[in-house]
Amino acid sequence: MSEFDAALTTFAQESEELLISMEDALLSLESSPDDSETINSVFRAMHTIKGSSGLFGFNAIVAFTHEAESVLDKVRNGERAIDAELISVLLDSKDLTARLIEHCLTQKDAPLPPELEAASARLIKQLSGSKETGIQASEAETSKLESEGGGDISVDGSWLISLKFQSDALRNGMDPLSFIRYLQTLGEIKEIITLIPGMPDGDEMDPESCYLHFKIAFQSDASKQNIESVFEFASDDCDINILPPNSKVEEYLNLLDAQDESHVKRIGEMLVQVGALTQNDVNRALQKQNESRESDDQPGKPLGKILVEQHVVQEPVVEQALKKQEQTKQKLAAEANYIRVDATKLGQLINLVGELVISSAAMNLIVERHGLADAGDVAASMNTLVSSIRDTALELRMVQIGETFSRFRRVVRDVSNELGKTIELQISGGETELDKTVVEKINDPLMHLIRNSLDHGIESPEQRLAVGKPAEGIVQLNAYHESGHIVIQIADDGAGLNCEKIVAKAIANGLIKPDHGLSQQEIFDLIFAAGLSTKEAATNLSGRGVGMDVVKKNIEALRGTVGIDSEEGQGTTITINLPLTLAIIDGFMVGTEMDRYIIPLSMVDECIEMDPNECEIDEVQHYINLRGQVLPYLRLGDYFNSRKSDTVKRRESVVVVKSGQNKAGFVVDELHGEHQTVIKPMGKVFENLKGITGATVLGDGNVALILDVQGLIQAAIKNRTRPANFLKA
Amino acid sequence: MAKTIMIIDDSASIRQVVTIALKGAGYEVIEACDGKDALKKLTGQKINLIITDVNMPNMDGITFVQEAKKLPAYKFTPMMMLTTESADDKKQAGKAAGAKAWLTKPFQAPTLLDAVSKLVLP
Amino acid sequence: MSIEVKQDKKGSIRLAIQDEMTIYTALQQKKLLFSHLISAKTLQIDLAGVSEIDSAGLQLLLFLKREAGHHNIKLSLIQHSQAVLDVMELLNLSKYFGDPIVISADRKSS
Repeated sequence: MSEFDAALTTFAQESEELLISMEDALLSLESSPDDSETINSVFRAMHTIKGSSGLFGFNAIVAFTHEAESVLDKVRNGERAIDAELISVLLDSKDLTARLIEHCLTQKDAPLPPELEAASARLIKQLSGSKETGIQASEAETSKLESEGGGDISVDGSWLISLKFQSDALRNGMDPLSFIRYLQTLGEIKEIITLIPGMPDGDEMDPESCYLHFKIAFQSDASKQNIESVFEFASDDCDINILPPNSKVEEYLNLLDAQDESHVKRIGEMLVQVGALTQNDVNRALQKQNESRESDDQPGKPLGKILVEQHVVQEPVVEQALKKQEQTKQKLAAEANYIRVDATKLGQLINLVGELVISSAAMNLIVERHGLADAGDVAASMNTLVSSIRDTALELRMVQIGETFSRFRRVVRDVSNELGKTIELQISGGETELDKTVVEKINDPLMHLIRNSLDHGIESPEQRLAVGKPAEGIVQLNAYHESGHIVIQIADDGAGLNCEKIVAKAIANGLIKPDHGLSQQEIFDLIFAAGLSTKEAATNLSGRGVGMDVVKKNIEALRGTVGIDSEEGQGTTITINLPLTLAIIDGFMVGTEMDRYIIPLSMVDECIEMDPNECEIDEVQHYINLRGQVLPYLRLGDYFNSRKSDTVKRRESVVVVKSGQNKAGFVVDELHGEHQTVIKPMGKVFENLKGITGATVLGDGNVALILDVQGLIQAAIKNRTRPANFLKA
Repeated sequence: MAKTIMIIDDSASIRQVVTIALKGAGYEVIEACDGKDALKKLTGQKINLIITDVNMPNMDGITFVQEAKKLPAYKFTPMMMLTTESADDKKQAGKAAGAKAWLTKPFQAPTLLDAVSKLVLP
Repeated sequence: MSIEVKQDKKGSIRLAIQDEMTIYTALQQKKLLFSHLISAKTLQIDLAGVSEIDSAGLQLLLFLKREAGHHNIKLSLIQHSQAVLDVMELLNLSKYFGDPIVISADRKSS
């Protein structure tokens, strides 16, 4: 006799004793149904037998005693009353348990005989078929059930399915019984309540109409979607609500928690994804939301609330989804708008894009040179792509100027306090974008100009009131885009520039002679000259006269220009014109015999032939008369001294360029057309080179110089006023 | 007592496959090749489910459903349409005519039997 | 339509339904059964001949049971056929009707 067999013998004895005491206890319960100790002993019998049967692998016993145990547990907890009926069922259960044990001990491996299985199933049904789930009870409780929905029956771990068939269901050939029978293929119906809440009495009742409602506690591993699909055909004729088991709630919560946060999803979408809802649930709830919105003319109820009210999902699940949604929103708000990128990485990218532009130009050149017609299309489309990449890459570095502007609010406040002036700073165009590297470099010049306006421009409140201005002065900062440039204006409504004072100062400093004959504009421009401050006593704010010349230099270093306009007594406006980027520009390539040059495309006005028939040319004074406009011109070849001495007179073209108000013509030998220009800085050695701001590498490997248009225009204007000593006649 | 199902389809092979599957599951089967043929065969005998194709010569499925619903012996008989995935409008038209169930073609025998058992008690 | 009516001396009526109880028969059966219901003190419905029952048939039985309650009539269902038993079992309704149900030994195989 093995140890196992010995154990089995013990089990048999123990069970027999337990069952006998269970029988005694049950019989005594008939006379004293409230004796808790007796109920306990009945419970213990089933509980112990279940436990030991499990150890021996007697699954049939476990399955049956489990049911009896659960019922007894309810009785023990006062959830279910013990009555004669239940006692007799429990007595039958005791007998059946004895038979099951006998079977397991004698024919351990043989399957359960059908009569035992049937008896077991029947008793399980009787055990679980408690009174409160029968239709008798529900008849009276119908209204209660209606209002509480599925909440009335609850079996742990069960889906709660509520089916309300509509009157046409039967006429449409839909038989609720078929669906319920089919449902059993997906799991086990733990409890089912049949309700006939809307069925009229007597003659009113139409036997072809359907009045059947069902509430089903259903145990199944199937997904909500699968359970819903059982009733798919009835969806037009039945209100179906499926509440997931409480045991599923945690699973849904975890799934919700693990949902990706890459974008904000709607509540319904989230819950469908984790399987807590089906699309039909969501659609019905949305419809309900719309209906209530239309009828109440009020903002509809939140969807989550409707879903909970319809008993298709538990409240905690909805709450978790809402929480998750909010989290995602916040996270995205914090993250999605900005990605922090190392500026050097961006710089690298832009450098690479620059190289790409050059390579692409090289390829185009080869395609052209070899006349590869079929490659032409490919090259052209690649060219377009490279241009877009270039623009996009540069845009990455674009920032709004607004932040820089708003920093000056504090400056204006502090300075005006210090000076005893009331000054308002008005900012507009803060959303205008420009390259971050430009923004960084424009900060200092702007600071200087604004301080100048505060210090020298705006008068004291007394002075202002005396001339009939409001006591409060205004400084305006404005930015906007104009033909590939950004324009920044600093305007004040102060005293304006006093020409006489400037002239006097300039004469005193030896900048000009008393018989200068300068125009008003030229006088204004004098304030950008080194060593001129019109304020008699320099304050510590604007420094000791150094300033405007430094500002001008800084701005020109950015390939920008600065201009001034003023009206005495009305105010001064300083206009800064800057390229959007310092890296790559759209250029216009021209050539002389020896060299090639790049003119920023945005500064090119037009191209004409250098032909006496086209326009009047004054070779001595170096100007042309273009449609009545006198235009100084400059022969680039002469200016840069790259013209061969034995040049034969050949066709020339004039590129009309403009910078601010000024225009001039550059005379060149060849027009090469538009060219994406990657600006390569010049070495320190060439820093002071006049007329050149940078260089670029061409597709064929040659270098082209980028012209300082502003500087050259000035040169051309000067050139015009003097005899042409460059001309090699 | 075995339940009876009618299958209406102009494709003989589909009728055959459906018949084999249904008979294998213990149903009696009546075959018809189009709506007209089916109406002729509806002679008052008990039929528990009618499965019909939509596109058929002589009489299409939707017209058939409308006609069958007028016959007292069949007005409550469940009807199932065989539709294709893309023909949602047909599905809706079928529903409006009275065929509340549908099966998307192509289908396999287990799917067919599943759908049938949602409509017919064993 | 075959419902066999047997009336005994004490005013109790026994109806034997010899037909299916489905949507197709529900209208007529309702009329007949209901008319007997309100005229009797005790009503027994013999379901042995019910070869087939669907939701409409079941609904009719639920209706009769409720009406009987309203009119203080003792209604009992007897001799449930297999088809009726299956439905009662599926919906766990035997308690509601409260009639003794004889479970035949061979029901598993049917």
